[in-house]
Amino acid sequence: MSKEDILNKLADAVLRGRMADAKAGAQEALDNGVPALEAINEGLVKGMGIVGDNYAAHKMFLPQVLMSAHTMYAGLDILLPAIPKADAAAMKKAIVAVVEGDVHDIGKNIVKTMLTASGFETIDLGKDIPPADICANAEKEGAAVVAISTLMTPTMEGMKAVVEGLKESGYRSSVKVCIGGPPTSPAFAEEIGADHRDINAQDCVNWLKEQKVI
Amino acid sequence: MVKPMTHMERGLAALADEPVDRLCNYPLAMGVNRRLLPGSPTYREWANDPKLFAASFIEGQKYFDFDFAIGLMDLSVMAADLGAHVRMDAENTPFVDGHIIHGPEDYEKLAEKGVPDIHKGRCGVLLEGTKLFAEKLKGEVITAGFIEGPLLALSQTASAERMFMDMFESPSAVHKALELTSEMDSQLVSEFAKCGVNGLCWDYLWASYSCLGDDQYEEFEGQYALKLNKQVQEEGMAVCIHSCADLPHLDYQINTYKPAIFSMGYYPLIPGSKSPTEIIDEGYTKNTLFAGVIDPQLFVRGSVEKITGVTKDLCQEVKTALCKNNQKSRWVISSNCEVPPDLETKLDNISAVVNTAKEYGAF
Repeated sequence: MSKEDILNKLADAVLRGRMADAKAGAQEALDNGVPALEAINEGLVKGMGIVGDNYAAHKMFLPQVLMSAHTMYAGLDILLPAIPKADAAAMKKAIVAVVEGDVHDIGKNIVKTMLTASGFETIDLGKDIPPADICANAEKEGAAVVAISTLMTPTMEGMKAVVEGLKESGYRSSVKVCIGGPPTSPAFAEEIGADHRDINAQDCVNWLKEQKVI
Repeated sequence: MVKPMTHMERGLAALADEPVDRLCNYPLAMGVNRRLLPGSPTYREWANDPKLFAASFIEGQKYFDFDFAIGLMDLSVMAADLGAHVRMDAENTPFVDGHIIHGPEDYEKLAEKGVPDIHKGRCGVLLEGTKLFAEKLKGEVITAGFIEGPLLALSQTASAERMFMDMFESPSAVHKALELTSEMDSQLVSEFAKCGVNGLCWDYLWASYSCLGDDQYEEFEGQYALKLNKQVQEEGMAVCIHSCADLPHLDYQINTYKPAIFSMGYYPLIPGSKSPTEIIDEGYTKNTLFAGVIDPQLFVRGSVEKITGVTKDLCQEVKTALCKNNQKSRWVISSNCEVPPDLETKLDNISAVVNTAKEYGAF
């Protein structure tokens, strides 16, 4: 199988949500000497990019997007360990989390997928995460982006606490803070000192591109 | 100029698109009303005591002077009774933190368990509380119960992400569980009818183009909801829908369910989200009374001046669009979603919306 065939297989597997094909394609890439980073970027990520565009255009919907995301991760599980350390170290890091008091994470998971598909090493802290943990991890990991979300009004203050915690630790100027979730707004982002309020995952990625973080 | 109307007269006229003295108002203030009760019970106390639940709607009506009363508690009522674990903090909207579906086989296990006794548990509190406030407010305002759609109830039980993936990989298993949540909904519909409410308001959260396509929505909720909506009408209640998600499946829901009332949100930053003017211009209000679209966060973070201005602008926009389309009254000045039931929500902002709608919604 040619390199082009393998890369197309990986992209197609993600596009169609075929996990077994992604795993097989990833292994074939390694077995045939395709650099892991190239297999990720020109295969898995290319497929996820099409999924993201189709989702934004309402040509694909959440069930397919989630299947594609999990398919991409299945391929990444095989390819990421094969990336040379120097290349891996060069990847920018993004922290994603749902703030403390909330467990609704479907939006956060889509953002995680799109950030990963944009070349970030994405560290998912999960849901119901205290602000101090988000701040500590951002600094420890040297994150370029902190993307936090919530669905519920009472937990919005946790977002403010994250921004303030980053200021206190002196790390705020090193990181872009994006917030998202139905109760948030651009005005709220401005009020708490976040850099951007994401309408959706694509908007998050597009804004980071505009800011040349990606 | 139309002579002053009672709440009931105004609501019924708006449903029929007949002339009204002013636009109806109903900022979706539910849980927040508990703060008007003696001792200001916590959210947890309110959601567990049918008398407190009912009293809050009655007190809210006295204090704010709304045109409707719709008995929303929260969106984890059915999931709790189906066995999911609900985290209920003292002053936060409860949410599921322990799902019971972890694989395709669990949908069948759920279906085999059958419908729980809806007279007990959280459903029991909701039904009893709804009955109490509906009895008290009968004839004063249009009342409605509030019920979770079958797909929403299942997603709360299974986790949305799990369920969406299983819709893709194991659709037959998901359908088995949906038959169960639909049966539970059917039993709830019959019990709500006995509560004496005028209508029943469904939450079809996933009927959104940010979540599902038309075919998926019809397969996984539409076919069940259509039967349930017929049952609602047969049992003497008006079908109402609350759809706070962005980009709702408007055409499907309006044309298929034929709701009397449709409450929705408007998100100007989201491409394709329809403003009140677009909703009215595009004919959605020809047969349905629409409600919206004040940002709920304004009740927490906005000033009285700010929310007054927003309400004034909304009244003007709606009246202009109705007039342009030769319609009389089919819009309720309302919020995109529930007024946050938080302690930080400003009660004065709710009053400001009501009072502004009275003044600037007048014809």
